[in-house]
Amino acid sequence: MALPPPDPQFVLRGTSAAVHTLHFSCGGQEPDVPILFSGSQNGFIHVWNLKTHRVDTTLDGHGRKSVYCVETMGGKNRLLSQGRDQRICLWDLAEGRASVTDSVFTENVGFCRCSLLKVAQGRWLMAMAAKALEEVQVLELPSKTSVCTLKPEVGAKLGMPMCLKLWQVSCGSQPLLLAGYEDGSVVLWNLSMGKASSQLGCHQEPVMSLDFDSEKAKGISGSSEKVLSIWSLNEQQNLQVYKTHKLVNAGISDITIRPDKKILATAGWDHRIRIFGWKKLKPLAVLDYHTAMVHCVSFSDHTDLSERLLAAGSKDHRISIWSIYT
Amino acid sequence: MAVFDTPQEAFGALRPVCVQLTRAQTMENVASLQAHLATVSASALQELQEYVLFPLRFALKVPGPKQERLVQSVVQCMSSILAATCVKKQELLQELFSELCTCLSPPSGSSKPASLSEELKLAVIQALHTLMHSAYGDVIWSLYQPSTLPLLGFAVSLLLGLAEQEKAKQIKISALKCLQVLVLQCDCQEHQHLEEDEAQQCGDLFASFLPGISITLSRVITGDIKQGHKTTVSAIRLFYLIVGLVMADAQLARVPKNKENLPVEQSRISELMVHRGPDWSKSTAEKLALLLHKMVEFSSVHPHWKVRLELVELVYHLLKSCSRSLVDSFSHLLKALVGLVNDENSEVQSRCNEVLRGIAEQQIVAQNRALADVLSENLHSLATALPRLMNSQDDMGKVSTLSLLLGYLKLLGPKINIVLNSVSHLHRLSKALMQVLELDVTDVKIVEDRRWGCEGMCGPPGSLQHGMQKGRCQKKYFRFFTEEKVFQLLQQVCRVLGYYGNLYLLVDHFMGLYGESGMYRKQAAMVLNELIVGAAGVGVDVLQEREVSLNVDDLKGSIMSILDEYTDQANWYLITSIDTEEISHDHSVQHLGLTARPGGACSSILLPSPELLITTCTMNSNIWQICIQLEGIGCFAAVLGKEFRLLLLSALYPVLEKAGDKTLLISETALGTLVDICEACSYDSVQCLINENSDYLVNGISLNLRQLAHQPHASQVLDTMLRHSDASLLPLVEDVIQDVLSALDQSYNNQASTFLGVLHSVMTALVQWFGSSCSEEHQQRQTAEWWSGTLSQGQQVVTRQEVERFFLDYVRQKQVAEGNLPDTGNEEADEVPPLTKLEPNNSDTEGETPLPSHAQLGKDVMERCIHLLSDGNLRVRLKVLDVLELCITVLHPHGNHLLPMAHRVWPALVTRLISDDPLAVLRAFKVLCTLAQKCGDFLRQRFSKDVLPKLTSSLLSQAPASARAGPVYSHTLAFKLQLAVLQGLGSLCKKLDMGESDLNKVADACLIYLSVKQPMKLQEAAQSVFLHLMHVDPDSTWLLLNEVCCPHQYEPPHISLQPVKLSGMGKQRNELTNNVLLLLEKLQQQESVTPWASTPEASPP
Repeated sequence: MALPPPDPQFVLRGTSAAVHTLHFSCGGQEPDVPILFSGSQNGFIHVWNLKTHRVDTTLDGHGRKSVYCVETMGGKNRLLSQGRDQRICLWDLAEGRASVTDSVFTENVGFCRCSLLKVAQGRWLMAMAAKALEEVQVLELPSKTSVCTLKPEVGAKLGMPMCLKLWQVSCGSQPLLLAGYEDGSVVLWNLSMGKASSQLGCHQEPVMSLDFDSEKAKGISGSSEKVLSIWSLNEQQNLQVYKTHKLVNAGISDITIRPDKKILATAGWDHRIRIFGWKKLKPLAVLDYHTAMVHCVSFSDHTDLSERLLAAGSKDHRISIWSIYT
Repeated sequence: MAVFDTPQEAFGALRPVCVQLTRAQTMENVASLQAHLATVSASALQELQEYVLFPLRFALKVPGPKQERLVQSVVQCMSSILAATCVKKQELLQELFSELCTCLSPPSGSSKPASLSEELKLAVIQALHTLMHSAYGDVIWSLYQPSTLPLLGFAVSLLLGLAEQEKAKQIKISALKCLQVLVLQCDCQEHQHLEEDEAQQCGDLFASFLPGISITLSRVITGDIKQGHKTTVSAIRLFYLIVGLVMADAQLARVPKNKENLPVEQSRISELMVHRGPDWSKSTAEKLALLLHKMVEFSSVHPHWKVRLELVELVYHLLKSCSRSLVDSFSHLLKALVGLVNDENSEVQSRCNEVLRGIAEQQIVAQNRALADVLSENLHSLATALPRLMNSQDDMGKVSTLSLLLGYLKLLGPKINIVLNSVSHLHRLSKALMQVLELDVTDVKIVEDRRWGCEGMCGPPGSLQHGMQKGRCQKKYFRFFTEEKVFQLLQQVCRVLGYYGNLYLLVDHFMGLYGESGMYRKQAAMVLNELIVGAAGVGVDVLQEREVSLNVDDLKGSIMSILDEYTDQANWYLITSIDTEEISHDHSVQHLGLTARPGGACSSILLPSPELLITTCTMNSNIWQICIQLEGIGCFAAVLGKEFRLLLLSALYPVLEKAGDKTLLISETALGTLVDICEACSYDSVQCLINENSDYLVNGISLNLRQLAHQPHASQVLDTMLRHSDASLLPLVEDVIQDVLSALDQSYNNQASTFLGVLHSVMTALVQWFGSSCSEEHQQRQTAEWWSGTLSQGQQVVTRQEVERFFLDYVRQKQVAEGNLPDTGNEEADEVPPLTKLEPNNSDTEGETPLPSHAQLGKDVMERCIHLLSDGNLRVRLKVLDVLELCITVLHPHGNHLLPMAHRVWPALVTRLISDDPLAVLRAFKVLCTLAQKCGDFLRQRFSKDVLPKLTSSLLSQAPASARAGPVYSHTLAFKLQLAVLQGLGSLCKKLDMGESDLNKVADACLIYLSVKQPMKLQEAAQSVFLHLMHVDPDSTWLLLNEVCCPHQYEPPHISLQPVKLSGMGKQRNELTNNVLLLLEKLQQQESVTPWASTPEASPP
């Protein structure tokens, strides 16, 4: 008898709207309960208690407009959220507070998630799509001072930025930005020079999501086509296509490489979550639970490896939690 | 009445009598001295004490034989003097003491006690007693010097002799009392407490007498019961006082290693002295142990309670003072003490408890390792013997054995861990518990009692509560005992273990037993439950607080691990019935269980494959196991209180699963557990519990639905949720019901039956929650309709005026029908049934507003039913028909949606009605009736075209068969079908408002069933058809019936009318006559009664 298909460990219901983004905060010590933040279409951010599997708090700060990016800024008490109301809000959640302490007006009408990078204690860099269609702006938080604005060369016709990834080779080194554009290309930006150092056409369609492994200098991107593209960065800071992977069904809305860089998960428009080995892109599992498009996947940051989880948010209003570390 | 206060006056008064007495020792002189003494005050007498005593002592000392009575009165007189005065001189005391003793001494040479009169003996004993009380401090102390040892020894042996050999109770008692005073252990308050070194000295001194005293006393104690309880009581008291003094741990500890050498002149005496060294104390303890054993055996069953009470005191006293020296005796002593906890006398009981508590509080056991060893040794041997005792003793015996066990455990208290840490002890104890707690699993009824489908839902509201109570107090039947008290004791034993014991160790051990063999599983679960309860300190009766109070996290940890084990597939999904459907599922579960736990060989023991014979006992045992586990979950909840809310995530789902179980006992127990959980987590009701945690349940259901083949129980959970909640639950579970439907869409072929179960419960719940309102409304409308119908018809009766009016009406209606509308059209408009008027309104509004969710669900389910109606499996088809009927009820108020659905259902339903298994036809016909009730004339055309011909023809063709058939026929399916059709047909005709030709068909088909040859039930059903027809069309029915048989002649009301001729007139009586006449009579009544009720003035003459 074949083993039954894997089931989610748990399903969180009750967002009553499509879930667009997820972010774990489980690194805390014992009295802290593990938490999952979810941002949904109706503009609410739900704070899920992963012990009781229930919503602890609901944050409403985006005027009922879809929230599509949620990040924590060091610990679970400082939260950054980005919504379709063109605002990026900074939250203070300590001691039961739930107030927006600061916000950035992006003036961008797209749905490109911002990218956050901690550069020093209490200092972050944030890349976000700017008001001008093709531009990306990098701000320093919490001071909100602009670091640079990245404009493609005239006539590059990249289209809007679709996804961003700020990274640095090691702590303290020069931060770099990878951006996926509407025309299907991925561009590596040098922030200090404010210039594109490399550009690679990965897809025929807009790049929906990308993730980058700075250790192996390898990244992966997905678009609305049936292809996953893996590319690498050589010593000359040039992007090269490394490999492509054919998918059965078209459309990837999110890609995440697990923090230990061993596997990655994709959120598919075909309602499925796919798990691949990161090294050779060997398909490992297809997690089939959702009844609508999966919007986002996220790995947890539990300190105990065996407790680590994968969460996926879907258009069907549900968040499925999977334990795939066993 | 002291007359002489000063010594001078007193002297004056007493002198003559004293002189007199000295001269002549006669009774009279003694008496006169006695009389004079009364007139002297105590202080005066004190001064003259020696003077007054002199003649008396002289009288005793006079050589030669003396008159006994004289001696007696002298002694009495002396004691009255001594009672009023103090002895202040050591010599005087010693002399008096020896003189008094001499009075009792046997004549020299004989070893027997002097054969004196009892009165004398008593007087002497009392005088001694008084003497001892009249001396104080150093004076009395002088008596307790090594030098006076012989004298003391003499007195002691004298008194012991009296106590043992005398017949008179009073002498015995007084002798014992006197001895008590002699060993300085008097009860009265006047005596000072002995100083430590004084006590030491006394101990040394009395050690010499100990053998004699103890042996004699033990003989007295174990002597004839007829001696009276007081003697025994005094003897016991004396025994423990003297033993407690001589063997006191404190004293023995201070005894020097070597015997002190006394001065030479006392060397003879020093030989008499005993050295209480370790050797001596050891051998003495051994001897005492023998005596104590004998005494305890005897007096613990002594008929008088005071003796038993004194025994308790003995144990207490010895335990307090000699717990080291007499350690070997305590095995018996404690056994007696613990055994007396259940004494029939409440005073003994309470004192016993008090003593036990005292022992525990003073931590006598806790500080004394040896004593703990003794106890654990006792425990071990008791545990070893327990199974045998449980097998052989009667219930009373079992109670006492178990209270002994409990007592040991309580006494050990925190030291229990010593016992538990020893593998053999723990093993013995647990095995004993396992054997004793074995359940009797032969009762077939437990397996047979089923909870039937959805009856519970329609039951009275109190039934839930009732069920819970029943579930709670469901009595367990044990193999080895029936007495409830025995079970309670066992419960306490487990709880005390849990209270003091190392919880991890215990839980681990009993979990081991739980997993070890199916034999022990139920008992181990029971023990585990009680352990946890005890560990939390709930309902446990202990003697002392435990040393470390419980850590809630530890408790929670243990509970979680037990809970995991309980709800593990292999232990939770057991075969409890031989329902084929369930077995097939369980079979697959078993496979899953085996793959999930490849090492778990036990799961195969527990889940025998269905090929093996599953005996009733196995099932009964499985049922009990589940119940015990459920009870356990209830206990855990109670113990953790609100903390349990966190565990609901994993615990609630399995419990609800069992609440939906088909076995009555399981479902009731599960309900009890639910109530417990409610209370513990402070939810107001089960409904609250379910609603507030519906997210957990829904999650479980939805995940399990994905693997329905392995988890057929998901439907049970949903079923239970629906059953115990109300409409407010619907929004919460809607999501999951949609999951069910989509899962069904994925697998129509194989799992349809299981899904239908779920759908059935969903629809039943919807009908219950939302059905009542719409059906009520519907009924009102119906009755209104009926009234209007009967009213219009009821007026066509007998009187000429009415005939005339009828005729005129008829003409006018005919004109209307021909399109000749009169001006006054209002009246006709009124006659249009309200239904048709309402209908368009309803549909207008409904077309715009979306369906309420429950109706939408009903519609969705109905959609699936259409597909499943033609399933290959008869069972499935039957189930579908049931669900369909419920769907129709739910959808009924929304005609706009129901009618199209009905339209779609129709072809499939007709096929069921016309060409299917009779069972399905029967069910389908019921659905048809419901549908007709709800859809009304929408179906008329289809019915008369598609179904009616078939029905009537089958009725007609079956009629001869049923007419011929014997009594067995009523059990056949054909009969049931006929009956159902006949019973339903009437109302169908009415509901569908059928046309005349169809009505005729029906009437024709049913007429033959009015035959008296038909079974009674069919006749009645056929009658009901006609009764309905009478409502629909009384005239034609009347005519039809009269054509069969006409009892009356009808005179036309006017000569101009033709006489009435009916074909039934004058016919011979035949098989139909009976029923026809009956029906005509009813018709007559109906025609006459109905108008009365509404228009009394129109009543016929």
